[in-house]
Amino acid sequence: MVFSSISFLFFFLPLLFLIYFLTPKRFRNYVLLIFSLLFYFFGEKWYIVLLLFSCLLNYIIGILIGKNKKKIYLIIGLIINLGLLFYFKYTNFFIENFNNIFDLNISYLKIILPLGISFFTFQNVSYLIDVYRKDAEYQKSFFSYATYITLFPQLVAGPIVRYKDVASELKNRKESVSLFSEGVIRFTLGLGKKVIIADTIYNMCVSIGGSQMSVLTYWILALGYTFQIYYDFSGYSDMAIGLGKMFGFNFKENFNYPLIASSITDFWRRWHMSLSSFFKDYVYIPLGGNRVSKFKNIRNIFIVWFLTGFWHGASWNFIFWGLYFFVFLILEKFVFKKYLKKGIFSHLYTFVIILFSFVIFSVTDLKELFVFIKGMLGIGVPLVNFESVYYLKNILIIFIISFVLMGPFVKNIIIKLEKGRIGKLVSGIEILCILLILVISISVIISSSFNPFIYFRF
Amino acid sequence: MRDKFIVFVFITFLFSFSLFFLFKEDKDISKYERRKLVTSSSLKKDVFGNLDDYYSDQFPFRDEFISLNSVINRYLLRDIESNNVYVLDDYVIEKNYPMNMKSVDNFVNKINYINEEFLSNSKVYLSIIPDKSYFLDDDKYLKLDFDSLINSVRNRVDVSYIDIKDLLDLDDYYRTDIHIKQDSYFKVIEELDKYLNFNYKEIDYKRVNYSNFYGASSSKVPSFFKPDDLVYLTNKITDDVQVKHLEFGLKDVYDKEKLYGVDSYDVFLSGPSSFIEIINGESENSRELIVFRDSFGSSLVPILIPFYSKITVVDLRYISLEIVKDYIDFDGNDVLFLYSTLIINNSSTLKV
Repeated sequence: MVFSSISFLFFFLPLLFLIYFLTPKRFRNYVLLIFSLLFYFFGEKWYIVLLLFSCLLNYIIGILIGKNKKKIYLIIGLIINLGLLFYFKYTNFFIENFNNIFDLNISYLKIILPLGISFFTFQNVSYLIDVYRKDAEYQKSFFSYATYITLFPQLVAGPIVRYKDVASELKNRKESVSLFSEGVIRFTLGLGKKVIIADTIYNMCVSIGGSQMSVLTYWILALGYTFQIYYDFSGYSDMAIGLGKMFGFNFKENFNYPLIASSITDFWRRWHMSLSSFFKDYVYIPLGGNRVSKFKNIRNIFIVWFLTGFWHGASWNFIFWGLYFFVFLILEKFVFKKYLKKGIFSHLYTFVIILFSFVIFSVTDLKELFVFIKGMLGIGVPLVNFESVYYLKNILIIFIISFVLMGPFVKNIIIKLEKGRIGKLVSGIEILCILLILVISISVIISSSFNPFIYFRF
Repeated sequence: MRDKFIVFVFITFLFSFSLFFLFKEDKDISKYERRKLVTSSSLKKDVFGNLDDYYSDQFPFRDEFISLNSVINRYLLRDIESNNVYVLDDYVIEKNYPMNMKSVDNFVNKINYINEEFLSNSKVYLSIIPDKSYFLDDDKYLKLDFDSLINSVRNRVDVSYIDIKDLLDLDDYYRTDIHIKQDSYFKVIEELDKYLNFNYKEIDYKRVNYSNFYGASSSKVPSFFKPDDLVYLTNKITDDVQVKHLEFGLKDVYDKEKLYGVDSYDVFLSGPSSFIEIINGESENSRELIVFRDSFGSSLVPILIPFYSKITVVDLRYISLEIVKDYIDFDGNDVLFLYSTLIINNSSTLKV
C-alpha cells in the first residue's frame, strides 16, 4: 500500500483515525502496530513474518546489549541485520558479477526484495548501536519496539527515524489539533509534490522514450529525472512527517531544499538528511572522521560514499553515483572550497553536477548511460530537433512550477503575508489551496487508473 | 480556530467520500473507458491484491475526477497531448507516433505471405486508410511520415495499390472516434471501383441518424465533448441480405441493439467479429469479394454489398487465416486488403 493510493486515503486512513482516536491513550500504540502491520501486509504479504522476526531479534539483542554491555551482542546484531540485507538485496548482484568475472554460470536465486528492508535494517542497526553507546535506553516492551520499527508512515521509504529521537514519544506523546493540522498541511503538500509534480514528470519522461534524440531532449530528460526523483522522494518524506504529526510524532526533517544548494557538500546537508546523518554517525565518525591523516580522511569519505551509493541499489550505476559524489566532495574539500561561496555560479555549478548525478542514478544500464552522457555533451546528436521542442513545450509549465517550488521562495512569501495586514485572508487562501491540492491529487490518482480500452477497435 | 478548521475540512473530506463509497452501489461497466470495472466480487478472490483497483474503479464521482484532471492538463499545464491524444478544435485525434518499422515490416511480410500462399489466382488489391493524425499540422504535432509509411508498404507488396488518402478530409471522420463516417465512404468506393470494376452506381439509401454517439477517442479526454451523429445507410438490399458471423450466427447488417451498448460503432456488422459471410441473394452477378480488414472496414463493407453476390470479411486480429482458409474460396475472386495506418503501425495483433 502506498500513501498516494485511493485505498490508503479513503479506507485505511479513515479507519485508523476512527479506531485510534476512539481508543484510550494507553492502547494507542497497539492500534498503530496492528495498522502498520496491515499496511505492510497489503504490500508484501508474507514478508511480514520477516519483519516481525527482525523486530523480535533486535528487541532481544537490544535487551542483551542494554543489560550486559558486551560488544559481542552488538556484533551478532550487526551481522544478522546486515546479513539479511545483504542476502535479500545484494546476493544476485554478486552472483551476476562473479559469473561475469570468472565466466561462471551460477544460477540466480529467486529472491524478492522485501519492502522497506533497507530502511528498517538501518533503524534496527541505529537502535543497537545507540543502546550499546548508551545514547538510548533499551526498550523493555516488545510491542513498543515493534511499533517503532513498523510505524507505517516511515516503514517503506523513510525517513530513517532513530529510536532515541522517538523513544519518548512512543511512551508518552501528545496528539493535538494544532499538530494534526500541521500534519494535514504537510501530508497534503507531500501528496501534491508526489502525484501532481513527480508522477506527471515521470509520465512525460516515459513518453519521450523511443523518440529521435537531440541534445535538448537529453537535457529535458535529465531535468525531468532530477525533478521527478526530488519531488517523489521529498513528497513521500513530507507525507511521512505529516502522518507522524497526526499521530503525535515529530520526525526529523529529511530534505531542506537540496536543489538550491551552493555546493555538493551543501547538497548532502540538505538531501536525504536521515541517511547522510546515519552514515556520518555510524560509519564516518567511528572510522575517525576528519580527525585523522589526509589519506585516512579521504579513505573514510570514500567508504561512506561507496556505501551510500550501494545502499541505494544493487547495481553498478548506484555505486558510480555514490563515487561520483565522492569525487566532487573531495575536490570541494581540498581544491576549490574557497571558490564556492554563495552566488549564482555556485548554485549553477551545483545544479549541473546534481543533474548529471540523477542521470547516473536513473539510467541503470551502463551502455545506455554512456550514450546518455555523450548525448548531453552534444556528441553524435543534433542540438535541437522538432521532437525536443515539442516535448519542451509539453513539459514547460510543470518544469516552471518545479523550478519555483525547489526553493523556499513561495513559503517565505506566504509567511511574510500572513504576518501582514491581510494575514487572515492569506490564511484563508492557504486553506483553500490545501483543499485544492487534495482534490487535484485525487483526480490525478484516479486518472492514473483511467484505462480506456479502445485498442481492440482498430 | 484555523487549525480546527483545517482538521475539520480534511476529516470531512476523507470521511464523506469513504461513507459515500460504502453506501453507493457498484458500477459494472464504465462507458467512458469501455471496460468492466473491478467490483466487490473481486475482493472475495484476493482482498489485498484487488482492494486498490476496486477503490479506484468504484470511487464516487470517478468520471468527474477524471474530467477534472483532463481539464487541468489541457488548460492549466497546457499539455499538447493528453492520454496519447491531441485535441484539435472539436476533434480528438489519436497520437500514432513514432513509426514502428518492425511493425510495418511485419505487415508487409504477412500480406506477401497470404498473397503467395493463397491468392495466386485472385485479383488482389491493397488500400491504406490514413488515421486522423494524417490531417494534423506537420509543424505542431508529432505524427507519422505517412508518405514514407505508405510507400514503404506499397513498394514491397506484390499487389495493386489503391491510393485513397488524398480523397479524405478530417471532416470525413467522426470528431470523437477514430473511424470514418459511413456516408463519407462513397468517394472511396468510387476509387475502389476504378480498380476492382464492380460497376459502381448510385443507389438510394435511407439515412438513419443516431445523434448520441460518443466515440472511443472521447473517452481519452473525457470533458465537454458534444456527441457525434452516427449515420448508417439502409435500403432493401441491406435489409434482406444474410450476414453470417462465425461467433454470433445470423445477424443484420446493422446491429441496432449495439447503438445503445458500450460502443455504438458496433452497429456496423456487429462490431469486432473474426469471420463474416454476407450473401446477397438479389445480386445481378455472381462476383465474390474477400476483404481482409480492421474495424474501418465495418462501415465500408455494407456499401459494397449491392455489387457482389457474396462478400467474405476476415479480421485477422481475431482469428488466424490457417483456421478459416478452408471456408474461403479465393479462386478467381477479388481480394481487398483494407487497413488503417493505426494497425500497420501496430501490426503484431494480426494472425496468419
